[in-house]
Amino acid sequence: MADITVRSASIGSPDSRSSLHKLMQRKSTIAFLMALPLILLITVLVAYPAGYAVYLAMLNKSMTKFVWFKNFDFLFTRDTFWMVVYQSCLFAITAVIFKALIGFIVAHFVHNIPSKGQRKWRGMLLVPWVIPPAMSTLAWLWLFDPSYSAFNWLLQPFGLGPIPWLGETGWARFSVILVNVWVGAPFFMIMYLAALKSVPEQLYEAAAIDGATWWQRIWYVTLPMMRNIIAITALFSTIVTFANFDIVRVLTKGDPLNTTHLFGTWAFRLGIESNDIPLGSAVSLFMVPILAVAAVFILRDITKRGSEV
Amino acid sequence: MASRKVTRRFVAKTAAASTALIAAPFVSGVHAAGKLTLGLWDHWVPDANKASQALIDEWAAKEKVEVTVDYITSQGNKLLLTIAAESQARSGHDILALSTWLPAAYQEQLVPMNDIVDPLIKQNGAVNGTVEYLGKVGGQWLGVPATIGSQLKGPVSRIDLMKKHAGIDIQELYPAGAPPKADSWTLDAFLKAAEACHKGGVPFGIGLGTTSDSVDSVGAFFLSFGAELVNAKGEITVKTDKVKQAMEYMKKLVAFLPPDAASWDDASNNKWLVSGKGALIMNPPSAWAVAKRDAPQIAEQCWHHGFPAGPAGRFGPFLPFYWTTWKFSKNASAAKSLLTHLSSPSAVEKMVVASGGYDIPAFANLTTLKVWAEESPPKGGLYHYPNPHNHQILSIAAAPAPHKIAQQIYTQGVQTQMVVRYATGQPLEKVLDWASSEIEGFMRT
Amino acid sequence: MADAAVTSPAGAPTRARYGSMSRDRRWALRWSYFFLILFAIFFLTPPIYMFITSLKTSQEISAEINPWWVFNPTLNNYITLLTQNIFLKFFLNSAIVAVCTVTITMCISVIAAFSLARMKFWGSATLATGVFLTYLVPETLLFIPLFKMFAWVNETLGIQLMNNWWTLIILYPTLTVPFCTWIMIGYFASIPKELDEAALIDGATWIQTLTKIFIPVALPGIIAATIFCFTVSWAQFLYPLAFTTSTSELVLPVGIITTLIKGDVFNWGQIMTGALLGAAPPLIIYAFLMDYYIAGLTAGATKG
Repeated sequence: MADITVRSASIGSPDSRSSLHKLMQRKSTIAFLMALPLILLITVLVAYPAGYAVYLAMLNKSMTKFVWFKNFDFLFTRDTFWMVVYQSCLFAITAVIFKALIGFIVAHFVHNIPSKGQRKWRGMLLVPWVIPPAMSTLAWLWLFDPSYSAFNWLLQPFGLGPIPWLGETGWARFSVILVNVWVGAPFFMIMYLAALKSVPEQLYEAAAIDGATWWQRIWYVTLPMMRNIIAITALFSTIVTFANFDIVRVLTKGDPLNTTHLFGTWAFRLGIESNDIPLGSAVSLFMVPILAVAAVFILRDITKRGSEV
Repeated sequence: MASRKVTRRFVAKTAAASTALIAAPFVSGVHAAGKLTLGLWDHWVPDANKASQALIDEWAAKEKVEVTVDYITSQGNKLLLTIAAESQARSGHDILALSTWLPAAYQEQLVPMNDIVDPLIKQNGAVNGTVEYLGKVGGQWLGVPATIGSQLKGPVSRIDLMKKHAGIDIQELYPAGAPPKADSWTLDAFLKAAEACHKGGVPFGIGLGTTSDSVDSVGAFFLSFGAELVNAKGEITVKTDKVKQAMEYMKKLVAFLPPDAASWDDASNNKWLVSGKGALIMNPPSAWAVAKRDAPQIAEQCWHHGFPAGPAGRFGPFLPFYWTTWKFSKNASAAKSLLTHLSSPSAVEKMVVASGGYDIPAFANLTTLKVWAEESPPKGGLYHYPNPHNHQILSIAAAPAPHKIAQQIYTQGVQTQMVVRYATGQPLEKVLDWASSEIEGFMRT
Repeated sequence: MADAAVTSPAGAPTRARYGSMSRDRRWALRWSYFFLILFAIFFLTPPIYMFITSLKTSQEISAEINPWWVFNPTLNNYITLLTQNIFLKFFLNSAIVAVCTVTITMCISVIAAFSLARMKFWGSATLATGVFLTYLVPETLLFIPLFKMFAWVNETLGIQLMNNWWTLIILYPTLTVPFCTWIMIGYFASIPKELDEAALIDGATWIQTLTKIFIPVALPGIIAATIFCFTVSWAQFLYPLAFTTSTSELVLPVGIITTLIKGDVFNWGQIMTGALLGAAPPLIIYAFLMDYYIAGLTAGATKG
């Protein structure tokens, strides 16, 4: 506070620059100190171990020799690796698209109904997001069980099935994605609902006066207004989905024929189950650049939009 | 080595006789440690944990050591992850249960146990070849063959269904209390039975996934043909006639298995049996025990018996556990004392009885305990489970390859994957190419 | 807190009225309910099935009968779990870990977000991006290096970090802080500049500006971030699976899975009961604080 009085007393004099400079310096010092816990946390518990993981990924199997990029060279020659790349992308993209779609549709309908009923519906529809996924996936495993599948029991009277929910590549991929969509869609719903509520009502009224149809209102009013939040939610979800571990681990463990492995689960199989920690780290590491590219694109789009508005 | 052994025995004896009077060097060492932690395999039989806990408490009270036991489930690879964590963090349990390939995998970090395993073998009889192949590397015992959790995944048949659909009286082939008369129980007979039961709507429940139950069963079929993917010298032997024969056989067999067998896990076959959907599974008696609790009419019809014989012999898939001690553990001597205690014939018998006959001790003199003859219903249903007449060679999939290659073949389910690929229509040559390329990848050091 | 919606810069949540024709609206409403029921079935089938299974005896679970009906309902699974001390211990561990994680996370991220959004210093823009990038690093990559670091800590400082539930309090913030910081940066950025300038001219320190002005105004955002943070730490699976082993150190999800599944034997009735009981605390929190959650996300996320 002393600084402020000093500054106001010496306005216009030549030394005002230095004291202003001092103030700035103090402000940035405080700011730095305030961000310090964050910096420490990220450096010690994320950045350093991530760096260490990069180092690990460049060791030989018995972790006795530094082999530079040999592990990556090796991975590139493996068919399974390319399968895992493909499957992870397929899994993440499909799951995120469906999560976004279902989230949007549900949010739209919840928004549509009278507000006194909304609480109840929102509560019900948020349940999958709230149950710890490790547990709810077990419920799905039980629903998909080869001997006791409750779904197959329902299909039986119609002469359908039994469907090998986890036993055939196509069905297994479908099931794994289905469970992921089920877990993640409510989060999209809540985010979109939040965004829908922030769209000014006048815009809809104006659109209605112009004679816009239901579809046109969504396309020309709702979607543009929600653009940012759709992009950001999709980005966060892509990251989490791409790195998913629990769901595949519990449901299929990568079976049949490795056709449901994702980066995380395959890295676990190589690193922990087959005792090849460097190779496992190398596989996990691959997630980072792929996600970084996605992140850069989406974030750039958001900031561009942000500056236009 | 020898002198230390004598000291230990001498001290243990004197300590037992007069703990209060003399503070012998070993005992004081234990006191200095004061604490001992164990990570044992979490037994699915609730009383089995209690039995091992009681034995450990008994030792702890005698030696005045504070012992804590963690029972760690193998499901979801929790035990595996714990082992990896402790190995990397260089701290953890003083005694930890490692299964199958893990002693060899963590070879450099484990305390050699020759000084207690060799006397135990003298006392309790020889161990089977698989226990030795997995536990003794380079002349060193990397762990004490454990009773808890060691299991044989032989067939469990439904007496009624096998009779009705396949015309096989399994009790006649494997009579209770007598040596098996199972010369007719061959791979061909097995295939015919599988076909008949499939037709009868009760297919055999053999998994083809990548978890241990599936890999163990398929591995035993391969061994029955003498089919090795990698031989003991570490050479790839995928493209041999024996492997091709095994593949042809498996292709025929898969046609009679449940359609989603390719993603079965270790629990799927249990449920298959308990739900009454199948006539045979390959499993230790846990499935039967659950049936006894939840579906007694099915349990009454279950009979544990030996594997069918193939051209190269009769192989029963054995999954041994070992009790090991890390080199970074500060209480290795106390750990060894406790492990000796846990391996005494009376302790072993207590654990086996508490497990309802599930656990199979590694030592030959201890595989003919009363419990297997007495467990019922049906009486005698477990008699042949621990291989009392050495009727089959106890084996593990991917043997006799060098451990680090075999471990990867095993954990990545190369054999089951080969079978599924071939059975779903890929040409044999392509499947074999795939397998040998995978295995080449396992040669990394 | 009632003024949260009013002060929220994005405006009070209001319901849009679609069109003016009532016939049109009635149809829209019907369709809305139809689809909502459809989606509710999809979303609620597994939890309902969990509930059904939790009321069954193990005999009934093993029997080949209608799985969607309980023929002999029993509360035994609930009684068994709730009278077991170890299950209550899991619950307690989870609760302590979640509360501590939320507290630490909110302290770190609110303060850091304020400094990044308002004060700016050399490298602050880079740091803001860096915070986001940490989100890209998956846990599956980190746990092995963390084992090695813990070995070092144990050997040089003598602090044993393995197999202790409080280690999770140190680790969980790495999963929650980035998102919470990001959401708070967005929220703070949406607060008019005039507000803090006025405060500073009146002689308030930066800390006072934060506690007296920013935190009250940003309360909906803080509540949203807190709820998010709680959900994440309650549900985390991989870290507790990797870092804790003894039953006395386990948190709820891992505790249920590792003690109720033994080898190849699943106790389905108890697992489902445990899962439902484990889902109860977050469910209750969402039921009461949902409105703040939505209000907070509206302001924070849209401006981000």
